[in-house]
Amino acid sequence: MAELGPFTCAGCGLLCDDVTVDDSGDSVRLAPACDLGSEWFAERRRLSAGAPAATISGEPADVESALARAAELLRGSRRPLMQGFANATVEDARAAVALADRLGALVSIRSPADAWPGAPAVPLRGASTATLGEIRDRSQVVVIWREDPETTHPRLLERLGFGDGSRSERTLAVIDNRDTATTARAGLHLSWPPARDLDALVTLHVLQRGRPAHAGDLSGLMDRISAVPHAAFVYGPGLIGGAGGQRRALALHELVRGLCHDRHVVTLELLPAPGTRSADDVLAWQSGYGTHVDFAGGHPEPVTATAPLDDVDVTLLVESAPDGAAEIALHGLPGGPDVEVWIRTAAAGVSAGGTAHRLDGVPLTLQAPQPDDAPTAAALLTRLLAEIGT
Amino acid sequence: MTEIRISGGAVHDPANDVDGEVRDVCLKDGKVVNDVGPDARRIDARGMVVMAGGVDIHAHIAGPKVNAARKLTPDDRRDDPLDRTELLRSGSGGVVPSTFATGYRYSLLGYTTVVEAAAPPLAARHVLSELRDTPMIDKAFLILMGNNQVLFELIRASGGGDSQQLRDAIAWWLDATGGYGVKLVNPGGVERWKQDNGNVHSLDDEVTGFEVTPRQVLEAIGGAVDELGLPHPVHVHANNLGIPGNADTTLDTMRTLSGRQAHFAHLQFHAYGGRPGGQPRSRAPELLEYLGKHPEITADVGQVMFGPAVTMTADAAVSAVLRDLGADKWINQDTEVETGCGIVPYRYRAGNYVHALQWGIGLELFLLGTNPWQVMLSTDHPNGGSFLSYPKLIRLLMDRAFREDQLAGANQRAIRRTALLDGLDREYTLNEIAIITRAAPARRLGLRDKGHLGVGADADVTVYVDRPDREEMFATPRYVIKGGEVAVEEGELRRSDDGLLLSSRAAFDPDVGRVLEPLFGDRYTVAFDHYPVRDPALREPARIVEAAAR
Repeated sequence: MAELGPFTCAGCGLLCDDVTVDDSGDSVRLAPACDLGSEWFAERRRLSAGAPAATISGEPADVESALARAAELLRGSRRPLMQGFANATVEDARAAVALADRLGALVSIRSPADAWPGAPAVPLRGASTATLGEIRDRSQVVVIWREDPETTHPRLLERLGFGDGSRSERTLAVIDNRDTATTARAGLHLSWPPARDLDALVTLHVLQRGRPAHAGDLSGLMDRISAVPHAAFVYGPGLIGGAGGQRRALALHELVRGLCHDRHVVTLELLPAPGTRSADDVLAWQSGYGTHVDFAGGHPEPVTATAPLDDVDVTLLVESAPDGAAEIALHGLPGGPDVEVWIRTAAAGVSAGGTAHRLDGVPLTLQAPQPDDAPTAAALLTRLLAEIGT
Repeated sequence: MTEIRISGGAVHDPANDVDGEVRDVCLKDGKVVNDVGPDARRIDARGMVVMAGGVDIHAHIAGPKVNAARKLTPDDRRDDPLDRTELLRSGSGGVVPSTFATGYRYSLLGYTTVVEAAAPPLAARHVLSELRDTPMIDKAFLILMGNNQVLFELIRASGGGDSQQLRDAIAWWLDATGGYGVKLVNPGGVERWKQDNGNVHSLDDEVTGFEVTPRQVLEAIGGAVDELGLPHPVHVHANNLGIPGNADTTLDTMRTLSGRQAHFAHLQFHAYGGRPGGQPRSRAPELLEYLGKHPEITADVGQVMFGPAVTMTADAAVSAVLRDLGADKWINQDTEVETGCGIVPYRYRAGNYVHALQWGIGLELFLLGTNPWQVMLSTDHPNGGSFLSYPKLIRLLMDRAFREDQLAGANQRAIRRTALLDGLDREYTLNEIAIITRAAPARRLGLRDKGHLGVGADADVTVYVDRPDREEMFATPRYVIKGGEVAVEEGELRRSDDGLLLSSRAAFDPDVGRVLEPLFGDRYTVAFDHYPVRDPALREPARIVEAAAR
């Protein structure tokens, strides 16, 4: 294959749409360079070559047989769960929620490995957000809170204007007690253990309101923010994941709301997977609720408390790596022995097109630089809906 | 396709000068026709009122701001679930319903066409995806252009006025997004908000960094839309929304657009006297007087209804004001190059001076005006209240006794500062209701096949039982026919229909891309070539309304 592009890379939630691919040699190279994107693209290409179309109980099968078995499992399920969406497109999510509606399924826009249920903080107080270009062009101080985008979203700093030759008057502040590739780029590096995050957020809020506090190293950060008309906070699972995550998220948004009285302050959430934003948006517009929704009652209900997962008897993984037990998996990666039915899907952004929402909500078209015959998850889910509806 | 004869109803079709005449309406192949065959389905409409399907010229039903509002307000919908059926998708209602619920409920109300009034062009794919999931209605969206940095550059380069490049750019943007028309929201002010919480306060304030003023933006883009001959004129959310004394700005904006076609959105929110920071009062009569002398200008009211609402606007500075009034929840959402967005859940209370005044000003705009073709019905859904409150609003206009009863429950100090207690006995007729809810919006949108029942019109028809309780009458149509097929019967949805996307198209020089591409490259984080939406799954099925260049 010669050089292809520019196309939209779906290797992470940044969905960089200026990428060219060259895999004429031994390895795939992306320009602009991105190890994560190259690895993602190479893996999808490798898997699309020679993999079976489907498996049933680990044995190769044709797609029709696998679909029939999947439909049988779903028809017989008392409590189906749809989960994953790590690499889902908008089209995949639309088809999945339609099927969940018909089945009365539980839907979770998270990978199995993520915390459950992880009730979001935004519905409680709201948030101030911005697209990448706003932060790049306006924020003189950008605070990255316990994330390492240099590894997880390798071009984030460049896209926020901290690439080579960026304006020196801008401050990149990184809060992390690890030494990471991102802390190495920081103009201001603050280090404390995660257990102090909530206290730090509250203290910053106290400082914002002009009250005395034992602030220590936080004073310097607040001084920098207070000196500029526009600032941004970048956060993700490092701050809001795990126990107490919702409280920390609330504290962050309270702080930003307070700061917004005197200056323009926005946030950007680094979501756990590239398909998360697309699927969450679709779930919200089709059901009225985001993240975790239960259709069992014949209508959507948000799941905010401990999820009733115990009685789930069939899990359908949508565009997420089947790295654990699941009855049905629709993904490019082969299912393991714990997967009853696996159907190989075309990877959106490599072998299939589609629409995806960037982590800041900007919708983009995914191209198919190397189309193949594998169906998309959307096509398979639509087939399943037709099968089950009859 | 089905042939239908709607027989013996009182037809209210003001676009064709039909005012309650008892006659048959015949439908075939999705259109109104002169006659149908003997095998046509006959709908007995004796004792009923027949109108064209409703057309909502200004509502917020799809896109990133609406979806953010859904995520922000889950508790508002939990008590209003919509069950799935063999025919219909499930959903949730409340003030900001899910997409399927939005389409179903508009249809159940007798509406067949709805305009999403404020979409960031950058988010067109998202808007189109949501509209694809909004069934039963034809829908269009207006693209936000009043704070677009690229257009600011073109306006500045042309010395502050219209130019061929600007016209080409606007036409390119409509082509790139599938949009129907052009919306200006607080021109210049949203850009200033995103810079440092600033704003513009007069039409001659300069937008920092761009050397343009709101007046230049209005003149240039309003002029360009006029010259392009787009089916819908420039749709203006004027500067200083909600601020006491803003009627001066509104009148200044109208004068600035003088001689050009223009539609003013939610005029009620722009009709205030008083001084900034003080108590507002009504200046609706002055605005109506101006409208009376300027037929080139129309408006929708943006009526406030007492009860729950969700304010959502590209005018994000307004939302910050509501936030500071003690709102529990607040969203701010900045979109690069183009616009902003603010969302605050809200409740209008009858006893509150400002809310009652807003309610009264809206009614003044309806009742003091002399030309219903100029002042159309809207609640700026969901800003002033849900579209589901339209039947109650219609009753307020048609039933003086009901109105006076409602007046008595509102803050009297506020009501005394309106004309509502001055013996205002006007009651809208059914024909006037037909004008403000379908005929005038369709005409103003340039939708020649909608809003009327003449031969050749779309077979979008609503049949109401003629009840004395006008709220009940308009809340539960007996039949709604969409595209020639019965969609609603006896208050229940009978079929599911995807509806059409309505887009407009104007010719442009494709070389405008050479002008725009470098301006994009400096500003957007999306590549110029990837910006336009070309996916047929998002753009079709559609009806394209061609511009008629002047």
